[in-house]
Amino acid sequence: MEQPSDEVLIAKSNEGDMAAFKKLVTRHEGKVAGVVRSMLGATPEAEDVGQEVFIRFYDALSKFRGDSQVSTYLVRIAINLSLNELKKKKRWNSRFTSMDAAAGKGTEDTMDLNEQLNYEFGRLEPEFKAVATLRLIEGYSTEETSVMLDIPLGTVLSRLARAQQKLRVALSKKLK
Amino acid sequence: MMNEHFSENDDLLLKSYDAPVTARERELLSSLMQNDHALRQQGDQYSRIRELLLRPEPDSFGPFFAERIMQQLKQRASEIDYLIFFFFKKYQVLAIGVLVALLITNMLLTDQLTLKSLFGIDQQTTEDVFSIDLYKNLTE
Repeated sequence: MEQPSDEVLIAKSNEGDMAAFKKLVTRHEGKVAGVVRSMLGATPEAEDVGQEVFIRFYDALSKFRGDSQVSTYLVRIAINLSLNELKKKKRWNSRFTSMDAAAGKGTEDTMDLNEQLNYEFGRLEPEFKAVATLRLIEGYSTEETSVMLDIPLGTVLSRLARAQQKLRVALSKKLK
Repeated sequence: MMNEHFSENDDLLLKSYDAPVTARERELLSSLMQNDHALRQQGDQYSRIRELLLRPEPDSFGPFFAERIMQQLKQRASEIDYLIFFFFKKYQVLAIGVLVALLITNMLLTDQLTLKSLFGIDQQTTEDVFSIDLYKNLTE
């Protein structure tokens, strides 16, 4: 059976059909989860942010004009909310820097390549992480990444290059 | 972490993954990769990183995520209903007071103690009706 399009589901949701909205959530959960969990890691905050993304989308349904795809729109909200969450975390963590440093020390040697890659990815600056998430993890083109983050293509390319260079340097021992 | 200097060659190598390169750049990169062992190794490392990062399948927030969202929306709607109810409840006494005051004012203005006067409904006495009829007769 053919699945209803996003536009049809949005129209139905606007008429109060909650089952239609649930279908939208189920359909786009994967993309949003991918972005949020790449940005924040598999933390409890990630799911909170994920829920917030869909609740904001629900609130904006009547204003959604369909200029962009639903997934693009959701990914944009997901990135913005994740960046806000990272800022909040940074403020909080700055009070406990010494504790964090102590906790992180000595663990890199015991990690395998995948674990360390995740760890180093988590340490990237939020702006680099946002670009790398969209392009390297989610597989969006550099043009799409530029549109979603509302930054020039050149900035996308330079942030992408810096992010990869940082990861390569940090992982150089294990990549040999 | 970022104390290494990254060469133009490294930048060109990375550019080739994400942006179109000119024929001249492609040629240059190809020649560099053939002759520069370190750059070739970096290329392998970048490819490995990209391969590991690319998500093979959609992620998930775990089972019943959609149900949790729907539950939250439902809960929020009932909270809004409660807030509206609470808002009106808060001003209930005041509203009743204003209503009573208006009723008493009406009653005092009409000088009558009837239900109609309480609600400000005009009442015509027999004399009023008679005087209107008399006026009509005089004008005809």
